Amino acid sequence: MRFRCERDVLVDGLSTAGRAVSSRGGAQPVLAGIRMILQGDRLELTGSDLELTISVELTVAGDTDGEIVIPSRLALDIVKALEPGAVTIDTEGEEARITGGRSQFSLHLIPAEEYPPLVAPTGESLTIGAAEFAEGLRQVVPAASTDDSRPILTGVLLAREGTGLRLVSTDSYRLAVRDLPGTSVLAEGQKVLVPSRALTEVARALQSASELTLLLGERDASFLIDGVRLSTRLIEGEFPNYRGLIPQSQPNRLTVGRTALIDALRRVKLMAREATPVRLTMSADGLELVAITQDVGQAHEQLDAQYEGTDLTVAFNPDYLMNGLDVTPGDEVSIETVDTLKPALLRSLETTDFLYLLMPVRVS
Amino acid sequence: MCEHSFVNSPRLDAADSSRRGPTRILHADLDAFFASVEQRDDPSLRGRPIAVGGGVVLAASYEARAFGVRGAMGGTEARRRCPDLRFVRPRMSAYSEASAAVFEIFRETSPVVEGISIDEAFLDVSGLRRLAGEPADIATRLRARVRAEVGLPISVGIASTKALAKVASAVGKPDGLCEVPIGGELDFLHPLPIERLWGVGPANSAKLRARGIRTVGELAAVPRTAVASIVGRGSAAHLCALAGNEDPRRVRTRARRRSMGAQRALGRAPRTAEEHDAVLVALAERVTGRMRSADRVGRCITLRVRFADFTAVTRSVTLPEATAHTATILAGVRRAYRHASPLIEERGCTLLGISIGHLDDADAVQLALPFDVYAGDTLDHAVDAVRDKFGAAAVRRAAGLRAGRGVEMPMLPD
Repeated sequence: MRFRCERDVLVDGLSTAGRAVSSRGGAQPVLAGIRMILQGDRLELTGSDLELTISVELTVAGDTDGEIVIPSRLALDIVKALEPGAVTIDTEGEEARITGGRSQFSLHLIPAEEYPPLVAPTGESLTIGAAEFAEGLRQVVPAASTDDSRPILTGVLLAREGTGLRLVSTDSYRLAVRDLPGTSVLAEGQKVLVPSRALTEVARALQSASELTLLLGERDASFLIDGVRLSTRLIEGEFPNYRGLIPQSQPNRLTVGRTALIDALRRVKLMAREATPVRLTMSADGLELVAITQDVGQAHEQLDAQYEGTDLTVAFNPDYLMNGLDVTPGDEVSIETVDTLKPALLRSLETTDFLYLLMPVRVS
Repeated sequence: MCEHSFVNSPRLDAADSSRRGPTRILHADLDAFFASVEQRDDPSLRGRPIAVGGGVVLAASYEARAFGVRGAMGGTEARRRCPDLRFVRPRMSAYSEASAAVFEIFRETSPVVEGISIDEAFLDVSGLRRLAGEPADIATRLRARVRAEVGLPISVGIASTKALAKVASAVGKPDGLCEVPIGGELDFLHPLPIERLWGVGPANSAKLRARGIRTVGELAAVPRTAVASIVGRGSAAHLCALAGNEDPRRVRTRARRRSMGAQRALGRAPRTAEEHDAVLVALAERVTGRMRSADRVGRCITLRVRFADFTAVTRSVTLPEATAHTATILAGVRRAYRHASPLIEERGCTLLGISIGHLDDADAVQLALPFDVYAGDTLDHAVDAVRDKFGAAAVRRAAGLRAGRGVEMPMLPD
C-alpha cells in the first residue's frame, strides 16, 4: 500500500475512526488498531470495538492498493506531530513508513487478517435533517446513564410518536424526552435502543453536516454523515415504561428566566460540595436558592419568579438541574412540582417538544 | 518485654503543662485475641501451640508463634512449621462477646475511647490524673480488670501520641505494659527497627533496608526528599513524621465510620464463579443492611480479593450517587468482581471482602424515578422490617443461599 495525503485530512480521519477504538484494548489486540483499505484514490479508515464501528472515507493520492491495520493511538500521534503538508504512508513487509517533511517513522503493523469481519449496515436507508436531530441528541444524550451495570439505561430510545420521532433517555434520576414531529423515520410502533456512546459520536460528526442517512437493521443501526459511517449494535431489552411518569400538569408551577436561574445556580452550586443538594424555596415572593455544606459554608440567592401553588422547598442535585436547564430551549422555563419527594417537571414556555423530569434529593 | 526504665512515670513539669496536663494516650491491644479466647474456654488448649481457623490461620497463639506460625498462613505451611499445632474452629460469637466486654472496661476506664478494631483501642487518659492517678497506674488496673473479668491477656502502650502508643504496646507484648516517658520519645523510638512503625510493611521495609536504613533513628536522619525517592512521597511524609514522633491525631470517641465492610474467608478449595457470586450477594446484603440501620449511604465500593498465595488486590467502583440500596451496591460489587476475575481465575481466591467507603449520613438521598416499585428502596425497607422482627437470617436473597455460613469476621459496632 502506498498513498499521499494532506496531514490535516489524515489527522481528522484517524481521530474520527480512532474514537471507536477501545482505550482499554479489549480482548482482541487487533482492535487497538485502525484498518486502512486503499482502493485507487479512496482510502477507508475503520476503528471498532465491536460495539461501535466508525469508518471514514478519504480521497487521497493513491499509488498502490492494499489493506493494513496500524496502531491507532501511535499513528495519530505521529501524523499529528508532523510538519503541515503532505504525508506519505507506504508499507514494506510488516512495517508502515510514515513520511512528512523531513521526518520518517516506521511502525510495526498489526496483521490485517486478524481484523474481525464487520457487519455491513442493513435496513432501509432514510434521510433526515441534521440540525433538528443534532439538537435532539444534545438534549437527551446527557440524561442517559453511564453505568454499565444497567445497560438498558445507557441507551437512548428512538421511538415513533404520532407520525414523528421521539428521543428518550433516563439514568433513573432524570428523564429527558424530545419530540421531532417532522422526522418520520420509524414505522408505526417501531422503537430501537441506541447506545448513548454511539449517539455522542453521531452528534459530534453532525456538527458540520446538513443531513444524515439512517439505516436501521434488526440488531444494528448505522448513521451516514458526510463520508463518515457510524455503526452500532442496538441494546436489547425493554426500556422502562416512562409514559406513566410524565404528568399532564402539577399543582405547583414556578416560572423563571432560564439564564437568570442558570447563573444563580452556577454561583450557589459552589457551596454544594460533596454531593449536597441545592434547595429551591418557592413562594409568592419568588425563588430562593440555598446550598449548605457542613464545615464548609453556605450560599443564598434570591430570584424573581412567578409562582402559583403552596409554599414549597425542594432539593435537587445541582448538576442534574443544570443539565436540564442547559438543554431546555427558550428564555423562560417552568418548574412544576407536587411535593418534596415527587418528580419535578421542567419545560420551556415556548415549546412543548422537550421535557425534563427530575427527581428531588430527599433531605432530612 | 519492655525495658523497665520506660515504665517509670514521668515527673510533671508544672510550668509547661496546662491544667489538663500533657497528652497521654493508651493503646490497649488484646494478645493473640482469638487464640486467647479459645485457650481461656478450653483448658486443654492452654500452653499449647494452637491456631484458630480452618484452611487458613486466622490467629495463632504465642506458643504457635514461637514456631513461626503467623496469621493468614496456609494450614499446610503452619503444620509444617509446627507439627503439634492444634487447629480450632473459630467461634466468632464468642470473640464478639469478649470484645464487647473488654470495650466496656475501656469505657469505664476513660470517657475518650476510640476503637480501631475488634481487639484494640486508643484511650485518652490525659485529664484523668486527679481522678484515676498516673497513666501507668490506670493501665495497670485496666490490664488487671481485663484479666480478672474477661480472662484475657492484654498489652498496653502509653505515650504522647497515638502512633507511639501503638508502637509501645507492641514492644510490651505479650501481656505487658510499656510507657514511653515524656521527653524520652525519640530515645525510645530511634533504636527500634523500622518495621515497628505504623505503615512499614514488608514492601517498604525491604526498600528501606536495601538502602541501609534499619532503625527508626536511621530513618529520622535521612532527609524527607531522600525518603520520598525510596518509598514515594505519600509514604515518606507519613514515615518521616512518625520517625520524629509527630502525630497530631487526637483520640476520637466514636469516630464516625468512613467505611463499612464485611469479608469472608473461603478456604483453599477452588470455587466457581457462581460460588463467589453467592458470597458477594451475602456480603452485599449484610453490609447494606448495616448501612441502612445506621442511616448511612456510600458511593465508593471496594472489593478485596485475597489469592491463594496470600497476596491481595482491591478493585474499586464509584457509583454516581451514594446509596444503601442492596441491588445497586451489589451491581457495583459484581462490576468490581468482573475487573478482578482474570486475576482470580489465574491465582485462585481464598477471601472475598467488600467495603463501602465515602460514607455519608443518609440525610441527602437522590431519589429515583418510580419506574418499578420493587426496583427502588421499597424492597429493602420491607426486607429490613422482616429482619428486625424475625432476625437476620429470616429473609435472604436466594442467590446468597449457596454462600453457606462460612467464617465471618466480627466487626466493630457501627
